[in-house]
Amino acid sequence: MGVPLDLLINAIIAGLMLGGFYAAVTVRVSISFGMLDVVNIAHPAFIILGSYIAYILNTTYGLDPILVAIVTLPAFYLLGAAVYQIYYVAFERRGQEALRGLAFFFGLLFITEVALILVFGVDYRYVQAPYIGPTWRIGFADFPLRMLVPCVVSVLLVVALQLYLTRTFMGRAVMAVAQDQLALRLLAVDPIRVKRIAFGISIGTAALAGACLIIIQPVEPSVGREYIGRVFAICVLGGMGSLPGTLIAAMLLGIVESFTATFYGPSWAPAVAFGFLLLTLAVRPAGILGR
Amino acid sequence: MRSWVFFLVALAVGAAFFAGALALRNDYLFFAGYVVLQYIVLATAWNILGGYCGYVNFGTAAFFALGAYSSVALHKLGANIGKYSSGLVADVLHLLLPLSIPAMVLVGGIVSGIVGLGMGYLTLRLRGVFFAIATLAMAVVLQTLMINWDFVGGSRGAYVIRSDKVSLGPFSLSYIEYLFLVMLVLAVLSLTVARLIERSRLGYGFATIRDDELAAEATGVPTLRLKLVATTISGAFMGMAGAPLPYYLGYIEPAATFGLPYAVNSIAMPMIGGTTSWVGPLIGAILLGSLQQIATVTINSAVNLLIVGVLLVAFVIAAPIGIVGLVQEFVRTAAPSRLTTRALSIIFIASYCFIVGILGIIFNLPGLQSQSALVVWLGFSALIVGALLLASAYGLLKLQSRGPLLTTIALISSIVFAATHIWLDPMSPGVRWWVIAMAIAAAAVWYLQNKGVKLLYDRPLADRPVAA
Repeated sequence: MGVPLDLLINAIIAGLMLGGFYAAVTVRVSISFGMLDVVNIAHPAFIILGSYIAYILNTTYGLDPILVAIVTLPAFYLLGAAVYQIYYVAFERRGQEALRGLAFFFGLLFITEVALILVFGVDYRYVQAPYIGPTWRIGFADFPLRMLVPCVVSVLLVVALQLYLTRTFMGRAVMAVAQDQLALRLLAVDPIRVKRIAFGISIGTAALAGACLIIIQPVEPSVGREYIGRVFAICVLGGMGSLPGTLIAAMLLGIVESFTATFYGPSWAPAVAFGFLLLTLAVRPAGILGR
Repeated sequence: MRSWVFFLVALAVGAAFFAGALALRNDYLFFAGYVVLQYIVLATAWNILGGYCGYVNFGTAAFFALGAYSSVALHKLGANIGKYSSGLVADVLHLLLPLSIPAMVLVGGIVSGIVGLGMGYLTLRLRGVFFAIATLAMAVVLQTLMINWDFVGGSRGAYVIRSDKVSLGPFSLSYIEYLFLVMLVLAVLSLTVARLIERSRLGYGFATIRDDELAAEATGVPTLRLKLVATTISGAFMGMAGAPLPYYLGYIEPAATFGLPYAVNSIAMPMIGGTTSWVGPLIGAILLGSLQQIATVTINSAVNLLIVGVLLVAFVIAAPIGIVGLVQEFVRTAAPSRLTTRALSIIFIASYCFIVGILGIIFNLPGLQSQSALVVWLGFSALIVGALLLASAYGLLKLQSRGPLLTTIALISSIVFAATHIWLDPMSPGVRWWVIAMAIAAAAVWYLQNKGVKLLYDRPLADRPVAA
């Protein structure tokens, strides 16, 4: 093939780092879609919202985007809990979540996007941080810090969530709500409260993912749409609701996308996720580490 | 009504509409009307799958754009046959091309229908949610394909040059009138097909899928085959709606053609109108379509999209059965045996409140950004009156016991508002409309004091007559 080795290795490294970030984006969909059965397609909108908050605080006060994300996390958690409460009262309790719930979240996605366009316009926005410019070089392998920092933050996030879900009572309750709500109720746990907390976490971490996104690339309001296909492709491929599976699938997609971008051109990259999704749905709908 | 009778009646209504528009001699009417008609087709097509089967399609824009791009490809091929082919192929192409618009509509429909079939085949065996997500992703991928496909212009976009006039038999129409006519026929056709499906075995099959797919499967309904039929028909109509687009705009590029507004509108219109019958998408499309045309002129195009989004979320939460469902439910409780004048009057008052409320909000939103404090104040109070009117329309139809009181308050404040406007600007041509609005509001307030109305709303819910 005559592909230079260093190009190949750099493509793999870039893919892994991209994949780490994708994992952070997808983890929350794995929780809401895989565990709670809430098909929140407005997820990317919350990420973009997080990006813009990081942008505002970064440009006006010069705060570090990741610090901003950690500070705004509780606000996003409350927002998520509120959205779930509306969703529960208006749809889940009436048993209409399938059609109307989807339309509801689609409407939210759209409103957020249009509102951001009205306020900020369609210009690309970016942040300033000390680690955005430099690159570590080890031999011929490049580690741009712009990619490495979000990747590390993302992997830490996934690990923390996995620990939370498997080691704490509330985390186990979240896992349980996916399997048997009735049994949970018999243990005197309110499944709605568990779901509200889980959904709050799922939206809360959007702040972090948004900050990572705006570090990696400049952001404009409609960027989020590209992530919908990607996120659900990873979620399905990883096996719904399995966090390790999500991480593996995210890395896989990251590498494939990075290869496509390196060898065929970046404009083809969005098509890769869709190919992945269709292939998974057609061949193995349960995903890599499916239940 | 038999389907062909319905088709002829709808066609006659359409023809009358067209003749009326011609008589007004206003080109803008055709430009705006074309968009509304296009949305009627899109909403009806979406509803065949979304409303009848309960499968959400977020990829309307993809099917729509496929139709548009197949027209671009055919147009380009027709213009440069010698460049892209030779010999026998070129001879055959010379025989076929250039195609007329109706033929292109057909081709667009076939292309989108096939893609719909393929999509459905890959994803419809799984839960409905996967189909919804896959359609969303498909829009992104098809957009990527079009960006990278140079023949149809790539990301630069493509220009399509249209002729000035078209002669249809003895008539000579301007091109926009011709496109309007094509879309009108398409709208009539799609409504007829939707109505036909609704009343046929196919429609009952679709309804079983929507209500309980598992039970349907168990009783022997061939669910997968029915779903595939639905996706194909729905996709085909979306493609047909898109085929004339390049000729309407004259220029086409991927980002706008695959834009989210098409997807949101085609979901919002049936949801707001009501998804269970063909009337819903029609009402929703006419209402939202014309509101958007008005808002684009008075405010700007981003705000009109915001209005669509907010209306969609509001309706999905507060009135998931849509306008048609609300009215049906109201009639069932208020006038179960036969449609009374009272029920009709209340429906009239409610729809008046709804339309005036929305128009009030749209026309007065820009006022909020004005420099003059008076205009801002007027705009703000108009927003409150508009919201009150919307709430009272909802309360009236839902038979809420406070409905009439709220409506009275809202209507009286609208009278005060209209009077203020007349007092501030007695010379403007709008005064006529303010006076009419005041008269209608006063009549409605007077009517709501009617004893029968009071009786209807005073009874506790349990005592109200319920349809057998």
